[in-house]
Order: sequence, then C-alpha cells, then structure tokens
Amino acid sequence: MLEDSLKICTVCASNNNRSMEAHKQLQDAGFDVKSFGTGSAVRLPGPSIDKPNVYDFGTPYQVIYDDLMSQKCRKMYESTGLIHMLDRNRQVKTAPEKWHSNSYAGKFDLVITCEERCFDSVLDDLMYRMYANDDDDANDVKKIVHVINVDIKDDNENAIIGGRGILKLVNMIHDFKRKKQEEKDYEDESDVILEDQMMAILAEWQKDHTHLPTIYGVSYY
Amino acid sequence: MAASFSPDQIISQLDQAKQLAINQPETHPQVFRQILPFINRSELPIKQWCIQFIHDTFLNNKQLGHADKVDLAIDSLDSLINLTNTTEDIDNFCKVINIANIIYKLVFQYVSENDGCNQIWSKLTELKNSLVNKFQTNYPLKPSDNVEHDLLRNVVTKLELLKFIMTVVDYQSKTQVVGSTNGGNIKIAFSLDRVPPNHSLIKYLNMEYEAVNLLDLTLKTLSQDILNPPMISATLNHGIIIMKKKPQYATKILKIIESYDTNTKLQSNYQTIEQFKLARKYVDRVLKIFIQHCKKYGLIPTNFQNSLNKKLQLLIERGDEIRRKNIFLEDNVNIRKRKFEGFLNPSKRVKALDYKNLYTLNDLNNELNNFDLTTVPQHILVSMVMNALERASVPKLTKALEIISERYTNALTMSGSSLVYQRPTQSVQGEQMKVQDKVKSEVKDESDEESDAEQYNPEAMYTLPPPKDLSFQDKKVQIELIIKNFFKLAKGEKTTEEINEAEDNISSELTKIAIKSWKKDSWILLLTRLATRGMRRRKPKTEDDEDEDSYDLETSPDDKVNQEMGDLIRTAIFDYFLENIHGRIDVIIEWLNEEWYSEVVFNEANKIKNGETTQSTPIYDKWAAKVLDAMIPFLEPNDKKIFIRLLSDLPNLNQDLISRIKSLCYDPARSTIGFLALSFLIMYRPPVKQVCLDVLKELSDSDQEDVKEEAKKKLEKFAT
Repeated sequence: MLEDSLKICTVCASNNNRSMEAHKQLQDAGFDVKSFGTGSAVRLPGPSIDKPNVYDFGTPYQVIYDDLMSQKCRKMYESTGLIHMLDRNRQVKTAPEKWHSNSYAGKFDLVITCEERCFDSVLDDLMYRMYANDDDDANDVKKIVHVINVDIKDDNENAIIGGRGILKLVNMIHDFKRKKQEEKDYEDESDVILEDQMMAILAEWQKDHTHLPTIYGVSYY
Repeated sequence: MAASFSPDQIISQLDQAKQLAINQPETHPQVFRQILPFINRSELPIKQWCIQFIHDTFLNNKQLGHADKVDLAIDSLDSLINLTNTTEDIDNFCKVINIANIIYKLVFQYVSENDGCNQIWSKLTELKNSLVNKFQTNYPLKPSDNVEHDLLRNVVTKLELLKFIMTVVDYQSKTQVVGSTNGGNIKIAFSLDRVPPNHSLIKYLNMEYEAVNLLDLTLKTLSQDILNPPMISATLNHGIIIMKKKPQYATKILKIIESYDTNTKLQSNYQTIEQFKLARKYVDRVLKIFIQHCKKYGLIPTNFQNSLNKKLQLLIERGDEIRRKNIFLEDNVNIRKRKFEGFLNPSKRVKALDYKNLYTLNDLNNELNNFDLTTVPQHILVSMVMNALERASVPKLTKALEIISERYTNALTMSGSSLVYQRPTQSVQGEQMKVQDKVKSEVKDESDEESDAEQYNPEAMYTLPPPKDLSFQDKKVQIELIIKNFFKLAKGEKTTEEINEAEDNISSELTKIAIKSWKKDSWILLLTRLATRGMRRRKPKTEDDEDEDSYDLETSPDDKVNQEMGDLIRTAIFDYFLENIHGRIDVIIEWLNEEWYSEVVFNEANKIKNGETTQSTPIYDKWAAKVLDAMIPFLEPNDKKIFIRLLSDLPNLNQDLISRIKSLCYDPARSTIGFLALSFLIMYRPPVKQVCLDVLKELSDSDQEDVKEEAKKKLEKFAT
C-alpha cells in the first residue's frame, strides 16, 4: 500500500458493482480503500425486474455467488456479467458493508460516492452523526471529510469507466499532495493546500470527464 | 538543562519519556508535565514533537482517566495560548486547534463545577479569543493583496476553526433537543444549562450573547457574494447541530437559507468559469440535502415550512435539469464576475532582475506593457501620473508599494543566488566590463592593469554600504534646516494656490497631492507637534526631579538628544515670537497648548501607575514662564487685550506664573493691566482664584501706596 495514501472509501447502493469496481482499481493502485453501500439491503438483478435478489449487508459475496449459481437462471446471470462481478468481489473483500453502520472502519479522509442518491444519503447520515455524538465527546474531535460524488450508470461497462475516472481523480489529488511535499519553495502556501485547490482539481478533472458529473461537499465526523 | 544537546538528542530523550508514559500509563501525567516546557523551545522539530505529544494525550487516548485529563488540560492552558500565536505551519496549527477543542470542553466543565477559579477562566477565555479572532484572518498565512482572495485561501484552517467556534457556541448556549432523541441515542453534551445559574464567572447572559455573535460570525460565509463550496457545505453541516439542539437560533439560519440563491452570486476573480458553474451546482445540492434533513427529522418550525418546501422544490428541479446537460456547455449569459480589487501580478518575488519584473503589477503578458512611455511629452506624462495618483485609493496604493518593496527585498536576497550568477550573455558581459573599467579608472588613476585583472572577480557581489547613523551634530544640522524651512514658509505668506499659479512644475504638482490641505498656518502645527511629540523623550519625569530644568537631566542619551532637539525648535518658535510680540500671540497660544496637552497625555499612564493625583508639566511651565518674562517688560498700556487673551487661553496657570503679574502692578504706567489681569482671572478662572487673591494680599502689604490701595480695593471686592 502507498505510504502517503489518504484513507478513502467508495460508496454505491449495494456495494457490489460501482463501488466494488472502484474499490478494486484503487486497491490495485496501492491506495488505502474500503467500500460501502447506502441501500437498505443488497439488491441484485433477479429473474425479472420485479423479482430482485435481496440479501442483508454482511452476507458474504461467496454466499451470494453460490446462491445465484444454484438458481435456474444462472446462465442469464453469467451472460449479464453478474457472476463475473461477484467472482471479482469475493477476491476483493468478504462481504458487502453498510455505510450507516461503518463506525468500526474508522474515519476516512475522502468518501467517493457513485450516485447522487448515495451522496445525499452519506451527507444526510453525516449530518445525523453531527448531533448524535457517536464518539466520546470530551475525548475526540470530529474530523474533516471530503465527499465527492461521481455519477456512474449502474452497469458493467460504466462501472469500469467510472472506476477509471475515480482512479484518475484520486491520483490527481495525491499528486497534488505530493507536490506540496516536494516543492518547498512556493510563494503562496495556499497554492499547495488541498482544501484551497479542491475546486480547481475537480474542475480540471471534470473537463476531461463530462460524462461523469460530480458533486462535492465537506463534512465532519 | 538540555542546552548542550542537539535537537535530535533531545527528541530521542523525549521519545523515551513518551515510551515510558505509554508503557506505564500511571506516569503519563508526570511525563506530560515535564515535557510541557519543551514547547517553548525555538527548534521547530522539538516544537512539532511536543504538539504531536499533546495531541496524542488528549485525542483518542482512552488510557488516561478523565480527572487526569482535566488536570493536564488546566496545566496546558498557558502553553496552548502561546502555541495559538506562534505556530506557523498549517498542519501543526490545525493540531493545536483540535487540542484546544478538547481542552475547551474539559476546562469549561471544570470551571462550571468549581466556581471561583478566576485565573483558569480568564486563561480559557484568552485561548478562546485567540482562536476565534483568527477565523477571519488567514493565519498562519500572511494576508494576500486583497480580501476576495483571502476568503478563498487557507480553507483548511478555516474549516478547523469553524469546528472550534461551533464547539464554543454549543457549550455557551442552552441545549433543547428538537424532536426525538432516538431512544436516548442522542447523547446530550455539556452545555450552558448545566452550569449553576448563579455562577460567578460563567454568566448566562454573557455566554449567550457571545454564542449568538459567534454563530453570526460563522454564518458570514453564507452572506458572501461569491461561492466557496467547502466552507458553505461545512457551515451547513454544522448548522444542523443548531437546528437540532439550539432551536432558539434556528430562525437565524433558516432566514438566510430562505433567501439564499446561488444564481445571485458572483463569479470570483480567483475561480474559473468552470469552477464557478460547479460551485453553484455543489452548493445547491448541499442546500437541498440540508432542507431535506431538517424536513425528515421535523426540525423546521411551522412558519418556515411553506417557504422551505418551495425552495426545496426549486433546488430539486434545478438539480434534475443540470444532470441532463453537460454543465460546462451551459449558457454563460447570466454569470457576472465580482469587481476585481486585486493586482493581476501580485507576486512578491522577482522573476527576473529587470525593471519590468520589479514594477509591473499588471499581467506581465499584457500588450499594454510594451507601450513606450518615453514617446509621450513630459507634461502629458505628468498629468497622467498625477491623475492616476489622485484616483488611486490609499489602501490599494499602499498595498502596491508594499508588493514592490517586498520584490526589492526578494531581489536582494536572491542576488546572492541563481539570478546574479547566471552567466551574462556576451553583449551584456561586454557592457559590464566597460562599466567596470570606467569605474576603476575613476577610482585609481595610476593602476596597474595586471593587478586590476587579478582583483577582478566576476562573481563578487557588490552591495551598497549600510547607511551610517547620524551623529547628534548631523541631526542638529538637519533639524535646524527643517526649522529654517518652516519659518521660510511662515514668513513667505504664500498660499498653496499662489504657489501653484506661480510655478507650474512637477514639484508643485506633487506638493498639491502630498499635502492637500496645506493652510497658511499649518507650519506651526507641524513644528509644535514635532517638538512636543516627535522629539519627546521616552522616560517620563521622575519624582526626584524637582528643579525647574530637571526635565533636561535624563539618563538615556537618546532621550537627552531628543530633548535638546525639541528645545531647538522651542527656542526657534520663541525667537519668532520675540520678533513681534504683539502680532504673534496666536502662535504662542497654539504652541503652549500643544505643549501642555502632549505632556499631560504622555504622563497620564505614569500618573495612574504611581497613583499620583496632581498634574506635572515641567516643560510647559518652563516655557510659559519664559514667554511671560519676555512679554511683560514690553507690554504697552494699551496691550490689555492681548495680555488678557494670553492669560485666558493658556491651558494652565500656576502660582509661579501668576506671581509674574506682580511686576506689572508695581509699574505705575501699566499697573492697570496688572490689576485688570488679576481681576479677570479671579472672575473667569476659578481654579486660580485663590492664588490671585494671595497675590493681591501680598500687594496690599506693599510699601507702594497706590498699589496697596488698589490691591485692598480689589480684595474687598473679591475676597467674599
């Protein structure tokens, strides 16, 4: 793992497709990354639109994989890439995790959501945590967290494109941080403060990724 | 103790101590107290080490008990106050803010439970103020060339300070949770309502007043005319605490949100159009989430529900619309840029050693820079420059000069490094050689060429010698020159208008701009202030100095020099007066008033310190006496008016001064003036009434009959 990696997490609805693709790409690039889902449960396509496969968060990918393989429409799952997705996921981590109960995972510097709905859900939850005081009040202070949404369509191909985009963005942020370490001779320190330049980084990235619309906000937790 | 150790050695010792604290938690408080003094060391690595150690002691340290933490928090207050003002790098300053956050909570609660610890409370207040006051600055960064840029700089520190301020607001106001506490899941932190109502230090009214003001301070981010998404979303995320726990202030936030519209905001000069478009979208989204959250948890008072529902609908529609488009292809028509108040090239570093780089505040690539001003006739150039100078605002001009001066300094520090050592191009080198040759031939007439060549060192750095300190004699010469010039002005009797009409040249134009309100008698004001304030000695009069001239006898040589130079001016004014006693009484009155006022004001602090009750103005007394002594012998019988005028307008009269009127009373030709003056003073200056009566009494015992008689008459009239 990279020594100077920010603590990052990726978030989508079911913690299976988009957040897991990005999780894998970031992990392969050496970043300190985890992933979560904001849905009430893990929902995967079923035999028909009104019959999704629903699992609780925490159900191991292996169990979900075996379950799908045992179903009649296994061939369909194989052809739509669902089986391939779960095969990848079980190599990345054990089970899908729920954002709302992730305090065990520690705090992140950067949260990247993959859908506007998830961004809303993360920010809404962080607002709730602002007054719910999970932490021991006189023993800890809240930490700044950057939340970025990169809107990705929920299918195989777009998950890969989105994952690449996220990796590029995370690399840009890290390159920026490294610039501060390397270039000690700057005239205005503001030029190397991440928080001061985040909008510039996002705008630059967005110019090359107009198909992946962004949202950004700062919260504390 | 550790003076002989290197920073590395000290740090390794500190590491060992820390290890001890970790291995044997019961020793932590003791180790902490011994490490604390190291925070004052000047070596940065040691200071950083200590900040990290304090940080780890208070944050997320479950090993240390609550009581120990409170004790250590109290012990750390002084060091922490110091750190908030001396920590110069951002990462460490942010750590200091976070430590202060914890310490504030611990100590506030302690003071609440232990009434009467005034000293601890005042230190805590000092710590709080020190941090709160930095929210609107860019500390630890220096301010840039304009306010707009500063709003967008050092956001990370502002985010941390915002968090600290919100902790203060939370603690210093009453908590009333709105809606459910989620089955007790929402723990209620300490706050004002848990402080005893009759607490002698933590007063409810004061605390709440301050909390409201601090909240207003944080909400300023939302009333700026530009968009700074990280700060806005952070403010809204903190705002939710207010909505849930401090309903008494909810209206404040909701009113701002009700009227907040990103479409009315301006594009900052420090953000691209793309950044601005994104900023609008980001801020709209966070606003939407804020309103939705409040709605979901029932935090919106009924009177705001309608308007906020409409707002929410608008934001949702706007979000849906923008999602369908490429945000950057959106129309730019409605985007307005904020008025630019800065400089296009505000860099304080010189990129190359030439005049263009030194003086240009405009964009360096601006075509305008290539315009050759030497082709413009001088008189047009002069009027252009004058016009520009007159229009420029003083703060902007000051800032501009500040930047240029920093560039100079930068050029000087750089001259030793890369820039000077750059090998000059062939032709430049040739030129330089010629110049050097010329200089040498001027300096040494019969120099031997070979030895010249030996001495020539192309890498040598030539700097001007530092200016020499002026000797007292030099200063005296300069002061005399200044005095002479002022009196030339006084006697010239020319008004500025006349000067301008007479000579239409550059220096008169400059005078016009430099001293816009020069009046005929401005010189006396400048000169008297130079003497009374500019040349004032620093050390005030001591109690032992009793004799009249005692103020001359000072210990500090600088003071003495100042005093002597001030006296040069005083003598000059005095002599000017002597030249025409009747016509220049106004000058004297103005001068002596200045003299007295300055002396009283400068001695005030000392007076309070020593608990004295009487004013002492030795300089004024000395010169007022001199003036009276000079004037009285020359008074004519019909000079009544000017003499009375002088006595009534002098700021202070003492026994010594009044007794000088006696000589007038004894002079048969002018005794009327003397007695008139005494009567006037008795009637119109009550503070000196008794002194005048004493003088009359003395005169009534005189052996000069007419004087005796007149004095008795007056005494009968006034003594009752």
